[in-house]
Amino acid sequence: MTPDSLFQIANPLAMAGWLALALSPLAPRPALLLAGVVVPLLLSLAYAGLILAFWSGAEGGFATLAQVQLLFTDPHVALAGWLHYLAFDLLIGAWATRTARDEGIPHLFLLPCLALTFLFGPAGFLAFSALRFTLSRLKG
Amino acid sequence: MTAFSAPSRPTFTHRLWTDAPAFTGLALLILLAMAPLLLAMLLDPRLSGAEDIWLKPLKFHIALAIYLVTLAAFARWLPEGMRASRRWRGFVALVCLCVIAELLWIGGAAAMGTTSHFNLSSPPWQVLYSLMGLAAATLTSASLVMGLAIHRNPATGLHPAIKRALVHGLILTFLLTLLTAGYMSSTPGHHVGTPVTGATLPLFGWSREVGDLRVAHFLATHALHALPLWGLAAARLADGPRSLALVGAGSLAFTLLVLATFAQAIAGQPLL
Repeated sequence: MTPDSLFQIANPLAMAGWLALALSPLAPRPALLLAGVVVPLLLSLAYAGLILAFWSGAEGGFATLAQVQLLFTDPHVALAGWLHYLAFDLLIGAWATRTARDEGIPHLFLLPCLALTFLFGPAGFLAFSALRFTLSRLKG
Repeated sequence: MTAFSAPSRPTFTHRLWTDAPAFTGLALLILLAMAPLLLAMLLDPRLSGAEDIWLKPLKFHIALAIYLVTLAAFARWLPEGMRASRRWRGFVALVCLCVIAELLWIGGAAAMGTTSHFNLSSPPWQVLYSLMGLAAATLTSASLVMGLAIHRNPATGLHPAIKRALVHGLILTFLLTLLTAGYMSSTPGHHVGTPVTGATLPLFGWSREVGDLRVAHFLATHALHALPLWGLAAARLADGPRSLALVGAGSLAFTLLVLATFAQAIAGQPLL
């Protein structure tokens, strides 16, 4: 299987997870199972397989920025890095959705945070944290 | 068991978890770890010799999971109180660490595109190979320890022939594996003779052209399956001393079979 074909499978898989989170008020439990467990596990499995198979053959490393850039010139390692984004961003999205449900945060407030996490992972986490903090002050 | 709950027979898997939680849990983890290994095999074009580089780690995962589950199943016949003792639990922890170390070494070598056993390419790999030989002997010693302990247990509730076959199987697993695998580790590789063009037996991968020391190792290590199965048969075929004699004869025959395949490989002859 080429890195390109795996990439073509992984993206819609992650998209399905994000769609489930966006529509999660309709069926919270299956949505969280899909986006918080099933899809991240599948992506993690693919990631682990890629790392086992291609990590040792790749150039570069973690010590300098130039080494990290060199590491991502290997298509298999770059794909693994992309799967890492997909898996962990979705996990954060699922965590935020679960937290919002537990704390009674309206889904409408959550949605922009999910969109931001989907596009720019940590920025979405930042936004959701700010939202939680603000709402807790309002209640307090 | 209280009078209010219906007496239920513990299931086979339930007993595995209660009698040997560490062995059973580790076996499950080892099997789960096969998922990324299988994926790596699917993606990775690298070969080790003529075989896919991930075949060996997968084989060892399967083999060690079977070994651990077997020990866990036999743990129910250990003497009263032994399973809860600190000494036993410490020993189990050591065996589990050795199993984990072996699999990390073998899987790690595959990930790095090199070999684990027989790898003397550099000092670190040499040291690892020696250490892993020690770990392999330690994890195999679990069968000796259990064989002796079950032998001493007067209250296994087993048919005498089955008990004896179990004890023979466990002890012979240790002795014969130490002999065959120990010898193999002192040689440059598992093949004896040339030329090796790649003709092998399906599934096992044993050479059909030259001697293959893995045959005797395989049989030796499965004494703990073969002999108890023969014990089950012996207990049905005869009673009293005659069933015990059948077990003794079976153990002797199995030992001779291992030695014969061992000698065959050393002589450079393939199994088939």
